[in-house]
Amino acid sequence: MMKQTFRQFRYETTESFKMAFFQIKANKIRSFLTALGVIIGIVAITMMGTAINGIDRGFDKSLAMLGYDVIYVQKSSWSTMGQWWRYRNRPDLKTEYADQLNRIIADNPRSELSIAVPQMSTYQASAKYRERNLEQVFSLGTTNNYLQTASGNLSAGRFFTPGESASSAMVCVIGDDIAVGLFPDEPALGKSIQIKNHNFRIIGIFRKQGKFLGLFSFDNQIIMPLGAFERVYGKNMFITMRVKIKHQEHIEEAKEELLGMMRRIRRIPPGREEDFSINEQKAFKSQLDPIKNGIAIAGIFITGMSLFVGAIGIMNITFVSVKERTKEIGLRKALGARRQTILLQFLIESVMICLIGGVIGLAITLITTFAIEIIVPDFPVQFSPDLVFASLAVSVITGIISGLAPAVTASKLDPADSLRYE
Amino acid sequence: MQSLCKFYEMGDQIVRALDSINLVFRLNDYTAIMGPSGSGKSTLMNIIGCLDTPTSGIYELNGQNVAEVDDDELARIRNKEIGFVFQTFNLLPRLNCLRNVELPLIYAGVEPEEREQRAAEALVKVGLGDRITHKPSELSGGQIQRVAIARALINKPSIILADEPTGNLDTATSHDIMDIFGALSDAGNTIILITHEEDIATYTRRVIRLRDGKIESDTMQ
Repeated sequence: MMKQTFRQFRYETTESFKMAFFQIKANKIRSFLTALGVIIGIVAITMMGTAINGIDRGFDKSLAMLGYDVIYVQKSSWSTMGQWWRYRNRPDLKTEYADQLNRIIADNPRSELSIAVPQMSTYQASAKYRERNLEQVFSLGTTNNYLQTASGNLSAGRFFTPGESASSAMVCVIGDDIAVGLFPDEPALGKSIQIKNHNFRIIGIFRKQGKFLGLFSFDNQIIMPLGAFERVYGKNMFITMRVKIKHQEHIEEAKEELLGMMRRIRRIPPGREEDFSINEQKAFKSQLDPIKNGIAIAGIFITGMSLFVGAIGIMNITFVSVKERTKEIGLRKALGARRQTILLQFLIESVMICLIGGVIGLAITLITTFAIEIIVPDFPVQFSPDLVFASLAVSVITGIISGLAPAVTASKLDPADSLRYE
Repeated sequence: MQSLCKFYEMGDQIVRALDSINLVFRLNDYTAIMGPSGSGKSTLMNIIGCLDTPTSGIYELNGQNVAEVDDDELARIRNKEIGFVFQTFNLLPRLNCLRNVELPLIYAGVEPEEREQRAAEALVKVGLGDRITHKPSELSGGQIQRVAIARALINKPSIILADEPTGNLDTATSHDIMDIFGALSDAGNTIILITHEEDIATYTRRVIRLRDGKIESDTMQ
């Protein structure tokens, strides 16, 4: 009996799909106009999703450059960037903190931290080779341990040795943009460049990494031993402690631990606010949240409006369809169609119109996304399977909601009256 | 059926479309129900066809009181026990003959292969074996009505109920259609015909005349 009922349901559903298909085919323009609201809604929702995905992807790519397992001790916080006045009166950090941190880490085998590396940096550097000159170079002084806390591989040469680091040797490792910018036609390795009238020998070149958030490039940096950096720029440059952690998933514990260590080093009594900040790349992400939320709210609003209008349109056209086909409904009932059969038939029809609208909307978004990727490759757009699923689900739900009232009306029609209807 | 009544309320008035009708249809009866318009013959047909339920009284079909069952059960009875033939044919224009004829089998939950086979057989039975893939628009009125008869036959119903089956056909075609009904009756089917044409009624064995919701006469011929 159950099996029979199920089989009946299956055949009726198949039949309903066929009829819905015929119906839509017979009323192409009407169906298309009806689906327009859904199309616009789906385009809006998928475009929004694509933009948000794109921003996320751009971000993740950039954040991967920073390394997920590195946290930074700095004078100011990344998450409240722009509020420089809060940090203005904080005392500068000292590069010696790195050694102190490493000593504490070494004393505690259960530490979540693995190594601290000091870094001094400036965005205002310039580099010269013969008549060629590069401005706005990111110059960075650090120790031989730097590579443990940074991503990126060397495409040529080597990083500086502990000996070179300790003796403040005048050597440097340069990013790809600088190598190409200063040495367009010849190998850069082994050449000497001038930085503020000091000669540096190039001992290594980084592989190209691309831009970070489209703003800052790791390919535009010159890395040298800390002592050499101080010789060129003095001691009062921006100092960062790069601290590598042991387990990415224990980042919160690691931050706690580092906070305690830094307070000890800085001798900050309990209860007083610390005068330094511990930064992680997650802070960047939260900076973008308002933008993402803005896009999401606008998208949801547009989607909601157009789907609402679309749903009313579909409801209307389904009511018309029920009226037009009153006689057919009567006939089907006379031939043994039950209420639910008729209900399902009209529901399937409205769902199908919505689904077709959804697919067209998806196609429009896909084409647009491809076009954007070709025309402006840097613009962050990213299509995802989730979006396909979400928009099809939205289409189906819209179809059900808008088709329900007319379908119920149809299913309740009196067979004798509807057969007489002309 | 006993003391069958059907009342309609129209404004303040109660219209007695059917008033205390007592009728028995036996297996293999070939009956014509006649009467002028407004006599209640359509209402009677709707009740016999389970498209409508009586206001009061009992309608037993194969021992089951139809007045007491729910909508879904009524749909099942219409599907299994009643074969409808309409004056306006009522084929679905977008489907070909085969698909039209198999429609009741879909609602009965019959498998696709069996459906096609039975539908094709029914079409052969009404002499349209060579037209199964034609659409209704490609057929003549008589052929369309034969498709409708095939559809009515497909589920081997207890009653074939034909409402003015020749009303939209010319005389020659009408007689062709009546020959088919005759053959079906000879094959053991129970047929009830609604008509107002005397010469059509002469094909049947029993004639029931209605007037003002009451049986005027019930004669065997």
